[in-house]
Amino acid sequence: MYGKKNIVLFGYGTTGKQLYKKLTEAGNRVRVVVESDDEMIEGEDIDILKINIKHNEDIFSLAIDPRCDLLYCGMGRTAKNLFLVLRLRALYPEATILSISNSPESTRKLKYAGANSVIDLYEATARRTVSSLTKPAVTKALDEIVYRRNDLRMMEMAIEKYSVYDGKKLSEIPFRKFGIILIAIIDKELGDKLIFSYSTIDHMLDEDDVLVIVGKEKDLAKLQVKMLKKN
Amino acid sequence: MYKLVKTAYFIEGSGRYRVVKNFFYDLLENNQYRYKKFFDIFMILVILSSVTILVIDVREHIPQWLDDYDLYFVTTVFVAEYFLRMWVYSDIHKIIIDEYEESLFLNKPFSYAKLTWNILRNKWRYVTSISALIDLIAILPSYRSLRILRVFVLFRAFKMLRYTRSLTGFFFVLKNKKFELITLATLFLFFIFIAGIMLYVFEGDNDNPNIHNLFDAFYWALVTISTVGYGDISPVTPEGRAVSMLIIVAGVGLLSFFTSIIVSSFAERLDVLREDRVIHETAKKKNMTVICGYGVLGKLVAKGLKKENVEFIILDINPALAEEAHNAGYRAICADATKSTIFEDLGIHKRISNVLCLTSDDIQNAFIAVNVKSLNEKVTVTARCSDDEVAKNLEFAGVDKVIMPEEVAGMMGMVYAGEPVAFDALLAIVEAKGKTLIDEVKVLSGSQLQDKTIDEIEFEQMRIILLGIFKKSDSKDRPDTFVFNPAVEYMICSEDMLVIIGYDIAIANFKKRYQ
Repeated sequence: MYGKKNIVLFGYGTTGKQLYKKLTEAGNRVRVVVESDDEMIEGEDIDILKINIKHNEDIFSLAIDPRCDLLYCGMGRTAKNLFLVLRLRALYPEATILSISNSPESTRKLKYAGANSVIDLYEATARRTVSSLTKPAVTKALDEIVYRRNDLRMMEMAIEKYSVYDGKKLSEIPFRKFGIILIAIIDKELGDKLIFSYSTIDHMLDEDDVLVIVGKEKDLAKLQVKMLKKN
Repeated sequence: MYKLVKTAYFIEGSGRYRVVKNFFYDLLENNQYRYKKFFDIFMILVILSSVTILVIDVREHIPQWLDDYDLYFVTTVFVAEYFLRMWVYSDIHKIIIDEYEESLFLNKPFSYAKLTWNILRNKWRYVTSISALIDLIAILPSYRSLRILRVFVLFRAFKMLRYTRSLTGFFFVLKNKKFELITLATLFLFFIFIAGIMLYVFEGDNDNPNIHNLFDAFYWALVTISTVGYGDISPVTPEGRAVSMLIIVAGVGLLSFFTSIIVSSFAERLDVLREDRVIHETAKKKNMTVICGYGVLGKLVAKGLKKENVEFIILDINPALAEEAHNAGYRAICADATKSTIFEDLGIHKRISNVLCLTSDDIQNAFIAVNVKSLNEKVTVTARCSDDEVAKNLEFAGVDKVIMPEEVAGMMGMVYAGEPVAFDALLAIVEAKGKTLIDEVKVLSGSQLQDKTIDEIEFEQMRIILLGIFKKSDSKDRPDTFVFNPAVEYMICSEDMLVIIGYDIAIANFKKRYQ
């Protein structure tokens, strides 16, 4: 769900600041951690923890809970992010780590170092610049959904055991009636891959399958309520 | 009022006169003009025919009609061209008006003498320009009584340079290296002078039967120093041979110096010529995109645009980066995008629809954006910046889209925090790494999609997901409205934009059928 996540954000440079802004706007709880030799950021009304990332004790003192905390590495320099990813991965093998990178080269290294996902600053910006030029409508549509310019949003919904849809076929769910569009599914029987071409096969839904859906917030909520009903 | 002044004002006000004059100006002088090419080719053919006739005439007898053609037709064309060029060079009526208004303003009597002087001085400037002199000399061979004038037919060949764009550029080479060339020429002359006199002193007094006078000695010196060495005159005394040895060594040095100057200046000039060609190539294009800055972001955007078959041109002030872009196969020019010249050359008013300011410097981007907007407000300007405050300033300056890499990353980080799977789905679609794409289909008027309900179009059978429709707003101020997941009875009108998701082949199929 949007918001309500606990996030530990490393770095508070230009990228870090934007991450903090967007994450808090979405209702997440963000803790900012900077390196101890960084200059103190003045005039900002937020709590900033200073640590030395080379010391394990310092990182332990953050009391990171790898199961609920998302770890964002948004330091200004790739070398630091790389080091941080390596260290965090070594300390918390099961944590979700996301890092910022500034080139495909660094992206590869960060992924290798153990980042779950990497956001390539320039790649993403370039893509956005190009698509807003060549496919303006698509860009605007995605903005509406992804960046929540209105009440539309994309979400994932896992099928729970004994839910009304457990064991049902995909075609039996009246998405249209709910005003919802199904974008993709993950059918656990076929692996973790996202399947977009769901319409070619009528997938059987079981426990742990994931639906990626887009819709108005209240419609999504309605579907969710329906889903939670147990058979 | 004076009749002359009246006529001048009449010409000034006449639209037709201006149209005609502009036409001839374009035809003669404007390299961007589409039909100038044909005029140039015509002139080259006329010149070639004239030179051919002249060469044949040396040994063979040419038929009368060819001689008439050369005498009357070619001469008429050249003379007409000469006067047309003189005509479009400047406006006489403007000089008259200026003169008249000046006399009114200063309350002085209107002086015909001064006016005539001004007009003559103005046109004289044209007559004495190098290209006009060549034109004039090229007309001279038509005067048949003087046989020596026939040599000037070669100036007709010179004239050809005027009509070939890349060749005119080579004249600049000589101009650019004026200082070096003059130094070299002085050195050459100095050596020839010294060596010629020395040889004359050593062998002029009957020692060498081939040297009759000082001219022969200088001739020998030039032939030797240029390493041509005909051998018709050669030194016979040991002293004379010693002089030969010295100037041969000096000659080799000077010649290689000369070659290197010419080669290096041509190399410098070649970049400029290439960029001229780039500009010329784009002359026929419409809706071009200009990328300013070929840094990390510029490179990625260029790659993306290339993939989408968008016509674009790259500007970078750094020659190394411009070269890199050129080597990557893009149209690139090394130019300062904060100056208006380059945008005017590229046709900011007609051919450019988008300008992307992607340098890593916010101030530079703002500078470029303001430059472009001040030249043509209609061009869509996208500027990159990394600061919220600067972003506000840019928007105030009229920039249409501000793009902040850090903000994009922040957004993506936020989405990731929300729904990792949805995030992956989105990335897969947007990056188009798999076969699934998101695309848009514009409903043109008269298309099969028009006036149909959603129900009637078989999205599902075509394996297409209709995400939503952008409905064109009535007024310009209001943004288009996005109708998400339109109801089955929604009627599609023209100008609607359908946003669809599907496999690449499914989308291609859909577009083929409906667009």
